[in-house]
Amino acid sequence: MRKKSVELTVLNPRGMVEAKSAFAPNPRVKDLAGKRVGLYSNGKPGMDNFYTVFEELLKKKYPTVTVKVLTGSFEITDKDAKDWSPQIDTFVYAVGD
Amino acid sequence: MPAVRSREISSAEFYKLRGEVKTVRPLAEGIFDALTSALTTPLTPQESSLEQDKKGGDDTPAEITVKAESYRVALEDFNQLYLDNRWGDGLPLIPPTPDAVKWMLSGTSRNPYEVLGTINPKHGIATIEKIAINAVMAGAKPEYLPVIIAAMEALADETFDDLHFLASAGSFNLLVVVSGPIAEEIGMEAGIGFMGHGWRANNTIGRAIRLATLNIGQTWPGINDMALTGRISPHTFITFSENTELSPWQPYHASRGFKADDSCVTVSPTHGESQLNHFYGGMIGTWTALGVLDRMVEDIVRTDRRGLFMWGTKGIGKYPGSGGGALNHLIVLFPELAAEFKKMGYDQPKLQDEIYQRTTIPYDEMNHAERKAIQTAMELGVIPADRKAVFQAALNPGAKVPVLISPENLHLFVAGGVPGCAFSFNYYRVPPYNQTSLITRLITGATLTKAGTTGVKSVPYGA
Amino acid sequence: MAGTVKLEKLGKPGVFINCDTFDDDAKSAAADNGMPTVRRRIVKSSEFYKLRGTVKDVRPLVEKVFDDIIAALTVPLTPAEANPPGAKQADDGPTEITVTGESFPEAIEELNTQFLEKHWSDGLPLVPPTPERVRWMLAGTARAPHEVIGRVNPKQGLATIEKIAINAVMAGAKPEYLPVIIAAMEALTDEYYDDLHILVSAGSFSLIIVVGGPIADEINMNSGIGFLGHGWRANNTVGRAVRLSTLNIGKMWPGANDMGLTGRVSPHTFYTFAENARQSPWPPYHASRGFKATDSTVTVATIGGSSPMQNFYGGMIGTWTAQGVLDNMVNDIIRTDRGLFGLWGAKGVGQYPGSGVGARSHLIVLFPELAEELKKMGFDQTSLQDEIYKRTCVRYEELSPADRRGIQTGIETGVVPAERKAVFQEALKPGGMVPVLITPENLHFFVAGGAPGCAFSFSYFRLPPYNRIAILTKLVTGATLTKAGSIE
Repeated sequence: MRKKSVELTVLNPRGMVEAKSAFAPNPRVKDLAGKRVGLYSNGKPGMDNFYTVFEELLKKKYPTVTVKVLTGSFEITDKDAKDWSPQIDTFVYAVGD
Repeated sequence: MPAVRSREISSAEFYKLRGEVKTVRPLAEGIFDALTSALTTPLTPQESSLEQDKKGGDDTPAEITVKAESYRVALEDFNQLYLDNRWGDGLPLIPPTPDAVKWMLSGTSRNPYEVLGTINPKHGIATIEKIAINAVMAGAKPEYLPVIIAAMEALADETFDDLHFLASAGSFNLLVVVSGPIAEEIGMEAGIGFMGHGWRANNTIGRAIRLATLNIGQTWPGINDMALTGRISPHTFITFSENTELSPWQPYHASRGFKADDSCVTVSPTHGESQLNHFYGGMIGTWTALGVLDRMVEDIVRTDRRGLFMWGTKGIGKYPGSGGGALNHLIVLFPELAAEFKKMGYDQPKLQDEIYQRTTIPYDEMNHAERKAIQTAMELGVIPADRKAVFQAALNPGAKVPVLISPENLHLFVAGGVPGCAFSFNYYRVPPYNQTSLITRLITGATLTKAGTTGVKSVPYGA
Repeated sequence: MAGTVKLEKLGKPGVFINCDTFDDDAKSAAADNGMPTVRRRIVKSSEFYKLRGTVKDVRPLVEKVFDDIIAALTVPLTPAEANPPGAKQADDGPTEITVTGESFPEAIEELNTQFLEKHWSDGLPLVPPTPERVRWMLAGTARAPHEVIGRVNPKQGLATIEKIAINAVMAGAKPEYLPVIIAAMEALTDEYYDDLHILVSAGSFSLIIVVGGPIADEINMNSGIGFLGHGWRANNTVGRAVRLSTLNIGKMWPGANDMGLTGRVSPHTFYTFAENARQSPWPPYHASRGFKATDSTVTVATIGGSSPMQNFYGGMIGTWTAQGVLDNMVNDIIRTDRGLFGLWGAKGVGQYPGSGVGARSHLIVLFPELAEELKKMGFDQTSLQDEIYKRTCVRYEELSPADRRGIQTGIETGVVPAERKAVFQEALKPGGMVPVLITPENLHFFVAGGAPGCAFSFSYFRLPPYNRIAILTKLVTGATLTKAGSIE
């Protein structure tokens, strides 16, 4: 295999991304019976319908479950997060896409 | 006629003062003597005896050599030189060395000296070789060359108006749509982000057309390309492919007399103002096919109504209605939208008919100028004979008048990913300076792809 | 994704659900937000968008994914999920990359192919960023190569002078352009500038990059006929350098985490041009932003992706009058903004009330002759803002109840800033004239173009979705090869 005669050396154009410590997600609840399930959406069309059915199915499968629906910003605001998280045990989060 | 007599007026004054006789008077007075003198003073010997320009005009040598202390510096010098010569487009070029051009030409079986036609404004001769040189500069690959050639064939076609979009003040653009199996074979992108950056095939095919027209037609911004603001997507025009994989319909070119499994390129200029009419779909909110259809219809009626009163113009050029009011609409539908239309029972011709039927104005709401324009348009042949009956019937109280001359003026392309957006461009149905403003061309002579190989016999230069 | 991680950090277990087309995007965002193994579940795009319209339609879809979502909430974490690898410091590989070929042209072709495969290129030919070329480029600035000027979304990559120089070489720029490119990147990476939205949103948003002051002429920017188009190395490569720098430092790719559905027009260069200082009768734009008229600056602003340009004509299309063009502008602003009142009170897409929704900013490009005529009519930039602001008012009686509620809520939530409250409270009365613009300062004028010329405009949210501002002017500094821009 003939050695190629030209070498072109160039610098890496990519930006350095700082090391981030990665967090593990929280351990799961064992099951949903008696739990408070939060359903979050950013209000994009369709999630309301999706969650309406989802809530119905939840209540059918877990008659003791409590469902709390919150429609907020695309990224839940600090205030909403602080107010809402004590009211739930676990959550589903969607942005309508 | 390089020695034709001409006299100049200041732009800054003319455009401002031309509105009324009163305001333009001092300007006309200022140049009056110069004009009469130009009309009456005998020609100088220099003006009357003009050397015949040698054929193929240009004094440039066939090869240019750039020397520098390293290749990297030579590359920089080459780019600056080409830009200074007005042979570049402002972004880095790949040097069209003899080897590179040979490499590029391996993508076609056609003869390098084959002449495709001429390109405005200088009527430069477009040969396969010159196109290949510009394709190298653009950064294209040999397998793209047959597509680029087909697009240039369309532009060089003697009935196609390339002059208007290449030179007009209105910053008109060019839509280049590839359809058929070659698109996927050469790696064109038709999904999310398909009109944007990152796709070598889409981007360099468009750029090769930009450079080939610039260099063969010999046009430069501010000199003889008078686009006042400049075009959007100026380096690549608007170049993409239909999404055959996700489209529920036949490819666009099937409606133009080609076989579904042919590979083709369709080119059309597009209007400079508000170039993209956006009908959404996709993610912006929930959408329904009917909702998007309504927006399309509303946009077409609003835009085309403005030109109605001009349907009766003789035309800027020699064809009736050239550069006049009636438009072509080039509509891009995303695959899911086309799928919804298909479910509703529409194929492309039926959807054209549906849109055509909806894009009407009540006769009773038209003003006198508009009604007269349509009448005149029929008399002058701007409205073709086969459409006359439709408009004759429409020009009656209680009737509805279409704002499009024919349903075929709606050109439907399927492109985009999931989710997607629908949008459109538009342009004159009959262009100002020639007969046609939209051509679909078969891709031929391909050597590196399965598609695009059926061919025209090559025609040697001078034959 | 950020919201999901926020809730997780508050101690609650959850699941993020998204459509499959956005899966790469979600995975990328999870890592960006420091929780790479967050639980995610997918719904098919092709079904969701179509069926979400009614409860009845979406039911079968929800039933299909229900068990999967419950499992995500209840099945214990695997060891891998519970022990995510820390994100390493990464710039995607070695400091130097070597390609080989039989000849330089071949090596360059190899470089272009490799860089595109890695998603480090924009599809057009790059100039190889060899150490020597990068040194050549860095000679254009007095600033230190390792100076960090900010972070670029979505990956929060560090924008250093050197990385910008590498991308500037690739773009085909010259060293004397570098200080301008750096200033543009300083604006984009400003801690309050919302670069995330324009770089990754589905709406294919774009940027205008306007150079003002004497440096424009010194580096040969074109501000005359065809100024937005091809053929101008300075205009074109400054824009391209910003495109490549953001692509490589912020690390985004179309379809993966740059979700612009159609793609942007002018995708390789954005809209990059200079004000026409020589022919403008007014002070430069940056003088209205607190800079000296003789300063050299770059203004960066996010603009809408769909129908980016509203064209008001002038120029050669027909005879024009300044009054006529002004009328076109006013009518256009009323047409696009009048329907937004109802959204003035909307919560907002992001952290701030009204972010990414409601009232708009307008960036208007006037050609020199038009500015002359307007000046003759007695206008300067400020009085022109006031004039258009006044004329783009709508009668109170024409407002719908939803319009009035929207404005009212906007006043209550602070979307309408405190200093504008009185104006709107007055206007929301019978006989009042309600402005579609929150303040005259939401009109930004740039003078550019030749003779003849055209006037046109862009617009965008007044408040961007994910941060505080979407228009910013920065001083050009550290220039070594031009007189302008040389102060530190």
